[in-house]
Amino acid sequence: MTTKPSSTHKLLTAALVLPLSGCDGLQSVLQPAGKEAAEIATLFHVLLVGAVVLWILVNGIFFYVTRLNPRPLSRRAAETLIIGGGILFPTIVLGILLAWSMSLMSSQRELGNAPVSVSVTGEQWWWRVQYRREDGSLLASANELRLPAGERTEVTLTSNKVIHSFWVPALAGKMDMFPGRVTRLALQPETTGTYRGQCAEFCGTSHALMAFQVVVMEPNDFERWLDDQAAPAKEPEEALALEGRQVFLREGCGACNTVRGTPAAGTTGPDLTHVGGRTTLGAGILPTTPDAFTRWIQHTESIKPDVYMPSYEHLEQSVLEALGHYLKGLS
Amino acid sequence: MKKPSTHDQEEREFGEEVDSLWRIVFSPLVWVFHFLACYIVTAIICAKMPAGDTLAGLRWFILGITLTSLVGIAAIGWRSWKQWGFVDDGVKVQDLPTEEHRHEFLAHASFLLSIVSFIGVCYVAVPAIFLDSCR
Amino acid sequence: MSLRDDANGCYPPTEAMLDEPVDEQWQDNSKRRLRDVWKTPAGWRYWSAVNNSEVGKWYCLTAFFFMMCAGVLALAIRVQLAVPENDFLSAGRFNQFFTMHGSAMMFLFAVPLFEAISILILPGMLGARDMPFPRLSAFGFWCFVIGGVFVLGSVLFDAAPDSGWFMYPPLAIESEGIGSDIWLLGLSFIEIASIAAAVELIVGVLKCRPPGMRINLMPLYAWYVLVVGGMILFAFPPLIAGDLLFELQRSFDWPFFDPDRGGDPMLWQHLFWIFGHPEVYIIFLPSIAIAAMVVPTVARRPIVGYSWIVLSAVGTGFLSFGLWVHHMFTTGLPALSLGFFSAASEAVVIPTGIQLFAFVATLMVGRVTLNVPMLFIAGALAIFTAGGLTGVMLALAPFNWQVHDTYFIVAHLHYTLFGGMIFPVLAGIYYFYPVFTKKVLSPRLGKWSFWLLFTGFNITFLPMHLTGLLGMPRRVYTYQTGLGWDWLNLISTVGSFILAAGFLLFAWDLLRPKSREPDTARNPWNAGTLEWTHDVPEEAWGIRSIPYIRSRYPLWDQEKLVERIDAGRFYLADAAEGKRETLVTSVLDAKPIQCMRVTGPAWITLIAALFTGGAFIFPTFHIYTPAVICAVFAGACILYWLWTSTAPIPEQDRKPVGLGLSLPIYASGPESAGWWGVWITMLGDATAFISLVFGFFFYWTTKTDFPPVGSEHANLLFMLLGGAVLLGAWALTLYARDSNTKGHVARARKALVLGIIASFTGMALVIWSVRSTGMDPQAHVYPAIIHALLLWLTAHVAVGVIMQGYCLAGSLFGKLTPRYDADLQNICLFWHFLGFTIVVCVLVMGIFPRWL
Repeated sequence: MTTKPSSTHKLLTAALVLPLSGCDGLQSVLQPAGKEAAEIATLFHVLLVGAVVLWILVNGIFFYVTRLNPRPLSRRAAETLIIGGGILFPTIVLGILLAWSMSLMSSQRELGNAPVSVSVTGEQWWWRVQYRREDGSLLASANELRLPAGERTEVTLTSNKVIHSFWVPALAGKMDMFPGRVTRLALQPETTGTYRGQCAEFCGTSHALMAFQVVVMEPNDFERWLDDQAAPAKEPEEALALEGRQVFLREGCGACNTVRGTPAAGTTGPDLTHVGGRTTLGAGILPTTPDAFTRWIQHTESIKPDVYMPSYEHLEQSVLEALGHYLKGLS
Repeated sequence: MKKPSTHDQEEREFGEEVDSLWRIVFSPLVWVFHFLACYIVTAIICAKMPAGDTLAGLRWFILGITLTSLVGIAAIGWRSWKQWGFVDDGVKVQDLPTEEHRHEFLAHASFLLSIVSFIGVCYVAVPAIFLDSCR
Repeated sequence: MSLRDDANGCYPPTEAMLDEPVDEQWQDNSKRRLRDVWKTPAGWRYWSAVNNSEVGKWYCLTAFFFMMCAGVLALAIRVQLAVPENDFLSAGRFNQFFTMHGSAMMFLFAVPLFEAISILILPGMLGARDMPFPRLSAFGFWCFVIGGVFVLGSVLFDAAPDSGWFMYPPLAIESEGIGSDIWLLGLSFIEIASIAAAVELIVGVLKCRPPGMRINLMPLYAWYVLVVGGMILFAFPPLIAGDLLFELQRSFDWPFFDPDRGGDPMLWQHLFWIFGHPEVYIIFLPSIAIAAMVVPTVARRPIVGYSWIVLSAVGTGFLSFGLWVHHMFTTGLPALSLGFFSAASEAVVIPTGIQLFAFVATLMVGRVTLNVPMLFIAGALAIFTAGGLTGVMLALAPFNWQVHDTYFIVAHLHYTLFGGMIFPVLAGIYYFYPVFTKKVLSPRLGKWSFWLLFTGFNITFLPMHLTGLLGMPRRVYTYQTGLGWDWLNLISTVGSFILAAGFLLFAWDLLRPKSREPDTARNPWNAGTLEWTHDVPEEAWGIRSIPYIRSRYPLWDQEKLVERIDAGRFYLADAAEGKRETLVTSVLDAKPIQCMRVTGPAWITLIAALFTGGAFIFPTFHIYTPAVICAVFAGACILYWLWTSTAPIPEQDRKPVGLGLSLPIYASGPESAGWWGVWITMLGDATAFISLVFGFFFYWTTKTDFPPVGSEHANLLFMLLGGAVLLGAWALTLYARDSNTKGHVARARKALVLGIIASFTGMALVIWSVRSTGMDPQAHVYPAIIHALLLWLTAHVAVGVIMQGYCLAGSLFGKLTPRYDADLQNICLFWHFLGFTIVVCVLVMGIFPRWL
């Protein structure tokens, strides 16, 4: 599974790359924005201090006996070191750590209780997202997850072909996604904002290009957003966008993608009904500007090697631009 | 060809030797069985049990098997301690080319392995204190 | 218990006997004879050598070469990741490179290097002339070379495996091209060679120690070899079983890992990590063993806490089998299950800590001289403690959920492997180099390369902890700017080149010609163990005469030891019959029991390895006929080699071996090394079989419908009948052995003939019981696993039949007699294990599915 070297690749993506500058920590374990992640960050800081102290202690003793110690010590002292340092001390410290982590584990695995639950399916190389509202209605989306702040949302995970892993470091630890198996996770974000998640299990050629954004909103905003999402796609108004829709339907995009409110009802690829309103394109790798849409459709295979979607390099530039314009308008 | 009497004697000695070489791994083996029992029973119960049931029965099982294992390891440790005979002769370093040192060395190693296995069994039981569901 | 053995003469030797001068004339003559026998073949025949010193050297250098290749791949990876959005490597090539980097470092370097170093130095430490089965070492080595070149070479043809060194299905199964097949078949081939080496090393430690070296006097290195050999026997077979299932799915579409047809990708993860985690300790322990040899020498004191170190080696060996799920903490297993593995992962810290503190304690009581080996040990400690402490963190499941599969793990594993393997091994190379060459490596270059390696390593990997915490996953071929990873990655890349410079400098020091430098003394570090009696490069015999040992550090404690060895005062100082010989001693007290003839140079091992290679390599390309032909030839070569050189009937029953001791030349049953070899091999084989059976029960546990309701089962009547007849074949084999021992040769032959017939009949019945039904192995995982067991059983019965035939032929052509019956004893041992396999197969294939 190799791809032809793409000389255009670097140029293309460099020009289009998601403007992340100034967002350091978007995907960091050390800047938690959720309950799980915060607990784990505390655990880590304690572990880190302990580890540094112990490292200095052990290597200090070693340095002392090999370099500084003027004369041999007694055998008894040496044996005390083995028993104290080798058995007593670690048994107690590790026992405490074990107990702490077990109690953490129990609380981190608690079920979610928010009115909306989410199921995420790993695809090569994007995320199929589905919200289930209290009334049982289902809402399809992709490559972006919106969550209400302060609530514990249940996330069920599965996969279509190969194993992936769902990971949003700022919110919680990761959970693998298996074909033919359902795993689960509960996310409890505390602060609103946008966080980045990424696939953490190697899943093929473009594993590196499988990311997504999590947007944490106030619960009321979240409800409103869900209502908007439930609506069919916006009717294009400008001529360019209208042309774009024609191209979309003519080129058979609808065979793989759904745009609710149009004949396009394919399910192989992501649901595009509100794609223009998402924060990223191509599973977290491009911004959702008309230009980015155009280039993505034109050079899909070189931007994301081995992707299932074909590149539409044969289309004329103007046609592609119309398409980009149409898709951006689907907010 | 060996005479039968020598052969018998050899058999007997060989038997004793094998006995004490195996004793080194008895305690870790108890740990292995305890570990596997906990893991396998949990795996089966969590896979076959209807969701939502509590694990009270499983936790009692783990408590029981843990206590049994600890008693077993303690017994092995005690036997090794006697065989080592540290209280009798105070020998900690068995580096002489004698039957006695070889005998005591195996006991000493077995005794130390009992300590580590004991800790290991206690550790493996800790999760059952804190976790009471299959999630 | 008396050590005086009337049957064998005088043992143990008295001081007076040892003091007696050796006749000078005899010294010269015996020296000449011994030298002739152990002469290394010259010219192109050099490559037919099987002696441990040659094979060990080749083995080490080959492993080192593979490491350098895998290192180059790592550099390419680092260049690609130096800056965001780089296109130095394409995604596909990057994936091949990181897969091969991991696979090659693990399978072509870390594990084989342990075996290589052990083959090289273990006989020296034990005062043995050679390994117990020299041709097996040579065969293993040639398999390793062929398999390694094949697997690593695939990178050059853009055909390398690209699904990660862990080869998770379904990704690896669906991967196009031959990459996955190369990984599976090429590495299985090497794994089998590894198991062969492990068997030999275990037998070496248990049975080939010098007289008097009781189990409490063994060098610690030997203890570690014993533990690690045992671990290999239980860790590698599950992977081989997994490889078998995997390749059956790749080649024949039997759906073991396909969830649509009842399979489960998780089974592979279990089998892989049951191998994968002990493997980490299989790599770590032998390197610690090297430290256990260096530290006392440097401290000029016997090791403190010998029993403690034995405890920690054995304890680590056991506990390391309870850790495998900590590689699967994020797979959604019940928290309680994770808890057990988390607990065991913490528990294993305790023996490891004891190990380290025992070294520190030894240095405390001694007077330390800081030399290059010690410098590397110090570096190892600094690095390994850091890796160990992050290991403690990672064993806690919640923390693991965050950093699993990130660069934090990359940092952690390199810290443990550099600290726990690379640095101690480099220390060992500096330390042991004079044993084989009588030269020392340059201390100046050594210090330079140490500091380059140490700083380069830390610059590369220390920042990676942070890279991982900032969210960078592993195995990504590129990353976006703006996530805070850019500078960290650039620093790591710079560090990796400093590290590479350190390795290059070391390689130059190792390989540069040193013929102009003066020879060092035989024991330049003034060490206490037997390998330092080697007198190279003049003498290839290993040791002039095999000494009687009374101390853990004989060179320190036993007066006049070296001069007596050199004078030929001790055992086997002569080779009167012109045969290569070494001593076999008893397991616990090292009482001499046999003078064993070992094999000399031969091409058959190389030829057998070539055919074995063909049998594994052709199926990679889905070419099966030549593969079968190769397999048949490989089998024929091995049979030829066994027939011509194992357990030959000696020209005399026993011979004097020196110091008034006379030993039998031939041994069979538990007294012989071969019997132990079979026993230990079969332990590994049984482990692989149990792994397959585990697969069956794994499906039953995780699936609600296994076996699916209404599925067809094997025909019970034929199954039971077949099983019974096969057990009859077992009984007949045992009867043949007993009849033969009692001298009823004709009856034994008849029993063997009947045994062969029974094996064929029984197997035919079992095959019929499965094949006569409509069970289709491609339809569902249930018939597939039944067929896998059937395949396993058939292959083993086939080997059993060959063995029966071999003994029958032996009896007919005078190779097997009532007195010389080692072959028959050994095949009975095989049949005991086969009996177990038969019973379990009948239960699992015929009875359980109906009952579950």
